[in-house]
Amino acid sequence: MGSMFRSEEVALVQLLLPTAAAYTCVSQLGELGLVEFRDLNASVSAFQRRFVVDVRRCEELEKTFTFLKEEVQRAGLTLPPPEGALPAPPPRELLRIQEETDRLAQELRDVRGNQQALRAQLHQLQLHSAVLDQSHGPPMAAAHTEGPSSERTPLLPTARGPHADLKVNFVAGAVEPYKAAALERLLWRACRGFLIASFRETEGQLEDPVTGEPATWMTFVISYWGEQIGQKIRKITDCFHCHVFPYLEQEEARRGVLQQLQQQSQELQEVLGETERFLSQVLGRVQQLLPPGQVQIRKMKAVYLALNQCSVSTTHKCLIAEVWCATRDLPTLQQALQDGSSEEGVSAVAHRIPCRDMPPTLVRTNRFTASFQGIVDAYGVGRYREVNPAPYTIITFPFLFAVMFGDVGHGLLMFLFALAMVLTENRPSVKAAQNEIWQTFFGGRYLLLLMGLFSVYTGFIYNECFSRATTIFPSGWSVAAMANQSGWSDKYLSQHPMLTLNPNITGVFLGPYPFGIDPIWSLATNHLSFLNSFKMKMSVILGVTHMAFGVFLGIFNHMHFGQAHRLLLETLPELIFLLGLFGYLVFLIVYKWLRESAASASTAPSILIHFINMFLFAQSPTNQPLFHGQEVVQYVLVVLALATVPILLLGTPLYLLRQHRRRNTQRRPAGREDKDSDKLLASSDASSTSVNSWNADEEKAGIPGDEEEAEFVPSEVFMHQAIHTIEFCLGCISNTASYLRLWALSLAHAQLSEVLWAMVMRIGLGMGREMGMAAVVLVPVFAAFAVLTVAILLVMEGLSAFLHALRLHWVEFQNKFYSGTGYKLSPFTFTVDNE
Amino acid sequence: MNQRRFAWSRACATGITLRMLTALLQDVHLLGESAVRPSNPPEQSIAHPVMTAHSFALPVIIFTTFWGLIGIAGPWFVPKGPNRGVIITMLVATAVCCYLFWLIAILAQLNPLFGPQLKNETIWYVRFLWE
Repeated sequence: MGSMFRSEEVALVQLLLPTAAAYTCVSQLGELGLVEFRDLNASVSAFQRRFVVDVRRCEELEKTFTFLKEEVQRAGLTLPPPEGALPAPPPRELLRIQEETDRLAQELRDVRGNQQALRAQLHQLQLHSAVLDQSHGPPMAAAHTEGPSSERTPLLPTARGPHADLKVNFVAGAVEPYKAAALERLLWRACRGFLIASFRETEGQLEDPVTGEPATWMTFVISYWGEQIGQKIRKITDCFHCHVFPYLEQEEARRGVLQQLQQQSQELQEVLGETERFLSQVLGRVQQLLPPGQVQIRKMKAVYLALNQCSVSTTHKCLIAEVWCATRDLPTLQQALQDGSSEEGVSAVAHRIPCRDMPPTLVRTNRFTASFQGIVDAYGVGRYREVNPAPYTIITFPFLFAVMFGDVGHGLLMFLFALAMVLTENRPSVKAAQNEIWQTFFGGRYLLLLMGLFSVYTGFIYNECFSRATTIFPSGWSVAAMANQSGWSDKYLSQHPMLTLNPNITGVFLGPYPFGIDPIWSLATNHLSFLNSFKMKMSVILGVTHMAFGVFLGIFNHMHFGQAHRLLLETLPELIFLLGLFGYLVFLIVYKWLRESAASASTAPSILIHFINMFLFAQSPTNQPLFHGQEVVQYVLVVLALATVPILLLGTPLYLLRQHRRRNTQRRPAGREDKDSDKLLASSDASSTSVNSWNADEEKAGIPGDEEEAEFVPSEVFMHQAIHTIEFCLGCISNTASYLRLWALSLAHAQLSEVLWAMVMRIGLGMGREMGMAAVVLVPVFAAFAVLTVAILLVMEGLSAFLHALRLHWVEFQNKFYSGTGYKLSPFTFTVDNE
Repeated sequence: MNQRRFAWSRACATGITLRMLTALLQDVHLLGESAVRPSNPPEQSIAHPVMTAHSFALPVIIFTTFWGLIGIAGPWFVPKGPNRGVIITMLVATAVCCYLFWLIAILAQLNPLFGPQLKNETIWYVRFLWE
């Protein structure tokens, strides 16, 4: 079958997996993604389950994988996606993978550590050489010298100043630039001019060993005399965490040290290069190992988690698992179990068991139907095997959207946008986009495609293309005939700013426009009077049809669940009520369209007044009847509709009560004989293969057994039925009125569109005085028009119409037959669900 | 072969239905084939060519046939496959929705009770443009 009419049959299957083959079998099932495991150990905590050790080992391995991944990303490399089929590895492989991964992680850590140390060393060397290299000018000796001079020759050896006998010492080092000013200030204040400090910025930028970012440093040379000053200076530089290096007085000595330093740093750089080469080798190995490893370990963990849900049968030395499986997939399941267990020489067995709980719902969808099933499921996943509204929603949802959105131009834009998405849907760049809003639009591309297509159609019917009407066929109203027959001379026209065409005059109205709304109405000032009447009646007709279809679908539900009594006691009265009252309204609308003509326009009957009087059993003398015998017909229909209310209210509960009593009296004299209970079970089994709901409460489903009869509580049943009746009857009226939003939103869209045209585009097109002027002005005007069209009319109005069409489906259509109280079958599968 | 026989019987049935429908339409009071009656020559002797009248029966026949082909005959030609049910549902639903919508639009304009109110500029312009 494969259709989406109702969800598929799902069976509860018990699997007996021999311990030796359990892992392989479950891994096979995970690859296929067919079955959902039921948790048989729900009362056991996660730490007490059988395979908790293995799960823990997998998790530790995953932690190591995360560390490796971070390291790879830090190095700026990417991990290639895993290729090929990677089944879950057998348990003995776990040890090997773990060892390999740990070894790689350790190596990586060591190499990183070495690299850091080497870098730090190199940094120090570089700082030292920078400090020595900086031309701070000659170190100052005398206090009377004005600040540092820029002469190259040191003054010291030739100085014969008054303090020439004092030994000048130097402190040289490097400090971060932002601390330099503070350091200088503090030195000056603390040492009161007994020192001369010179600060220079390094010429080149040095790489910071930790972050790897280039940074400039300030080197300083402080010349001072006196021990105490020296101590103070050292304390201050320590406090500022400066790097202090020994500074020799003689230039040659300094040069020698510099050369040494340069040699050392060269060697260090070679070693560093080797280290980094080794590091990239290790990273290469990680890149190879990591992607398949991650996939394999993830699968392994999933298999162990699934195995944790099975219960152990000590006698048979096998694991027992209970799974939900679609009946159609049972042969595949058997085959998979055979494949998995044949290697070990044992065989795994699967057999169906009867179930008391409601099975999960499974509806197979392809990428086209998935979005429509998605919007139905967003309201509620259907009960097991109840009628699925999704296949009808594929068409009615875009259609109702289009009724509210109808415009050829806007529909075409939407259609083209969706078409672009659909045609490029297989491109990896499109699939990999991360933006959530784009993902939302992309997920609904088929929805948008159909919505755009239907909007083009309804746009043609409404005769609106960016709010302009088109004359595909000639209009059915002849202005010339009216003008000629009423004597509308030019003088007359200039005196009367507005004139109305009269359809009573022959030749004015030539017949209905064959496809859609006549284009003359877009030129008329009273177009809303006509359009409102048309759209309101259209909304009521579409609404009553949609709701009647919903009640009709309920028939299939009642028949499937073996509740044939509800056909007579619920569906029939519901249909009579709905069609007798609102179907009659539709009939009145269509009758008036066909029968009343312009000749009798002044005395045309008002449907609204007739409808109100119908309920009040009253009459309005000024309102002509539409057809002969209308009063009698209306009277009969109202009485009939009122008569269906008690049937709805009491029919099903009384029937169930009678059945319940009959069953009790049947059983009591026989006294729990096996014969009777067999008869009961046989009859109940015969009525439905899967689920048979016992009381009117549709949420509880189960096979009726002896112990469930006590659950039939009459008051609950009556209460539920009363709620359902009130909901239906009042809902008929309110839901029909609710469909008027089709009119309201289409009116809003049309008016917005017209305002945009009149206020924006017409100004640009109306500048026809000079040729060049219009062309230049039209460019920004069109830009504004386009932006506002997309932002207001497409996005805002589109979202609004989408929402209201969705509401109409969820509430007005689905509450006639859909309960939506099921849960989805979520199969045990290894594929990561990205979409 | 069976499919073709079914298709042929479907077409026959459609033809019969159409004939019945046409008869029914002609019974209902229509503005239908009313041709433009030439008016008495007014004061100004402007020669006005006759505007073509719109019939009602012709569009009804055409569109009923069109959507009928899609909704009733179409399902017979859907190839067998896993999606057959869905495609048939889609065809029928499309035909019903679109036909109903078009029908409502044309029925609403069949017997207008009032005419459009136009500005004098529009009258002056359209009078000579749409002839």
